[in-house]
Amino acid sequence: MNLATSRNRKPKGGLATSKRRFVTGVTLPMLLYESIGLFVLGWAFVLMFFDYSPGRVGGPILGLGGSNPFVGLGHFVEMIKGTSVQANLFRISLRNTLIFAVVILPLNLAITLPLAWLLESIGKRFRALYRTIYFLPVLTSSVGVALIWMSMYNPQSGWINAIIRAFGGTPVAWLSDPRAGFANVSVAMWAVILAYLWQDYGYNMVIFIAALQGIPQELRESALIDGANPWQAFLKISIPLIRPTILFVCVMTMLSSFQVFDIIQVMTNGDPGNQTQVLMLDIYKSAFRYQNMGWAAAESFVLFLIVMSVTVFQMRILRTDWQY
Amino acid sequence: MASVTDPDRVHSRKPIISGKLFSRLMIFIVLTIGLSFTLLPFLMMILSSFKTNLENLRVPPTFWPEFFTLENYRAIFNDPKLPLLRFYSNSAFVAIFNMVSTLFTSSLIGYMFAKFEFPGKNLLFGWFLALMMIPTQITMIPSFLILSKLHLINSLWGLIVFSMVDAFGIFMMRQFCETLPNELLDAGRIDGASEWQIYWRIVLPQLGAPLATLGILGFMHSWNAYLWPMIVLQKIEVRTLPIILTWFNSTHTGQGALVMAATVLIIMPILIVFIFFQRWIVQGFTMSGMKG
Repeated sequence: MNLATSRNRKPKGGLATSKRRFVTGVTLPMLLYESIGLFVLGWAFVLMFFDYSPGRVGGPILGLGGSNPFVGLGHFVEMIKGTSVQANLFRISLRNTLIFAVVILPLNLAITLPLAWLLESIGKRFRALYRTIYFLPVLTSSVGVALIWMSMYNPQSGWINAIIRAFGGTPVAWLSDPRAGFANVSVAMWAVILAYLWQDYGYNMVIFIAALQGIPQELRESALIDGANPWQAFLKISIPLIRPTILFVCVMTMLSSFQVFDIIQVMTNGDPGNQTQVLMLDIYKSAFRYQNMGWAAAESFVLFLIVMSVTVFQMRILRTDWQY
Repeated sequence: MASVTDPDRVHSRKPIISGKLFSRLMIFIVLTIGLSFTLLPFLMMILSSFKTNLENLRVPPTFWPEFFTLENYRAIFNDPKLPLLRFYSNSAFVAIFNMVSTLFTSSLIGYMFAKFEFPGKNLLFGWFLALMMIPTQITMIPSFLILSKLHLINSLWGLIVFSMVDAFGIFMMRQFCETLPNELLDAGRIDGASEWQIYWRIVLPQLGAPLATLGILGFMHSWNAYLWPMIVLQKIEVRTLPIILTWFNSTHTGQGALVMAATVLIIMPILIVFIFFQRWIVQGFTMSGMKG
């Protein structure tokens, strides 16, 4: 008995030690690396309370203080009721970002949900082929997407104006006409929205197809047997069943469109007349063109708050249990 | 009985069949319209790249190139200011390094979180989840300041140092490692393998599919990255492909055909590779809910 327990204990102790060693060996470097991340995060947080520019010498700690003075909540006060150029620009960017996200979401759903439903109903081989093609723009670099669409939007030689001319319409300077617009959204904004949609819809479609495939076949069949037509079955059976996925897709689409940068930076860089200036673009310009990094940090914090509240909202809703 | 139901059945079946044919036709028409909308911009890009610049400026535009020319491609390959191979290798270096490092850290850390018990484990994991939610924009400015203090501006390492650990990858790998049977690991321990050997020789080979998915996603993400490389890489020779493409566009205004040829050369090769990995990519996107 005694012998048995001691024999048992010895390898066990050795095992525990080697396991502990493994955990320490992994955790320590990881914590070290993450502490850099924490430091960066802390720096970002502190930065927004200072009028900081990397060109000035400033105080001893991270260059804060001195000629980079502490302004407290000054940046945020300025954002809300300031009259300076940058405060105005911030409010314009915030407004444009909200417009962008709010327009994108319903359009995206209106395209992706029905298409996913149709794709899901056809044969396997076709489905794979169609899905691959619809997914191509998602995999394309946004710079490429932007350049392709810029060439199509070209007021003289672009295809889009060629189609408009063919139908007898007047051509539009899509990316540079500050006057034109539709539904209170400028035409340049519509142009980037269309390009962004084109790049993005394949992604949501793939997610919807996966969700639709997860619905037990019997549910839909029984609805069809009961006399529902396929469209009714889709509306009344499929959509309610994939509601968590729809919510998830809504939130992800919102989040990524709040952070849109690449396409707009290449296509319009905020022009004409700041009509497509979005928050990320404004942050980038403030920080790296005007070297106004304290202000830019405060702006990113606002963006962070928006993103965070959308995420929390998503987690709240998705916490509900769902079952077929 | 049968005589009552039979005519009824025949009656109701007929319209269903013809309706089915009709709706199938409609489905294919709608899907094909969507398909052309997706493909036409690509087609336009490719066709334009074979036109002369003069033809590309014509109003209305020609669909098929009238004078099929390879001149644009020749000009790009002979442009001493545009050593494409160099930019390809810049992009590949960053993407491969990022991919390998995140695969290594994700699998190792994920495995540890899945199969080991230690004090503070949940706290640590919660911290990782919190990290996942912090958008990179918020850390962008101090990261840039750190890089400039370390003289890593204009260095490809600047793109690598801050992305060696990926919270999402850790999360995903933990999920997979939890499904590994403990007996498998214990068998290794009984055979005298050290914990590192168990990770390397037993755990890692089991993670093939998630590693492939995560690897391709990571590669793609890094390959297409635009904002951060643009901030870090200010000298032309060290740039990666997306920022080279915008630079090329801004230095060749009015030469649409040439720019389209450059776009083809920069996006098409990797797109073709991605098509082959498409299944894993789609799988990864579906699992992760991460946007490219």
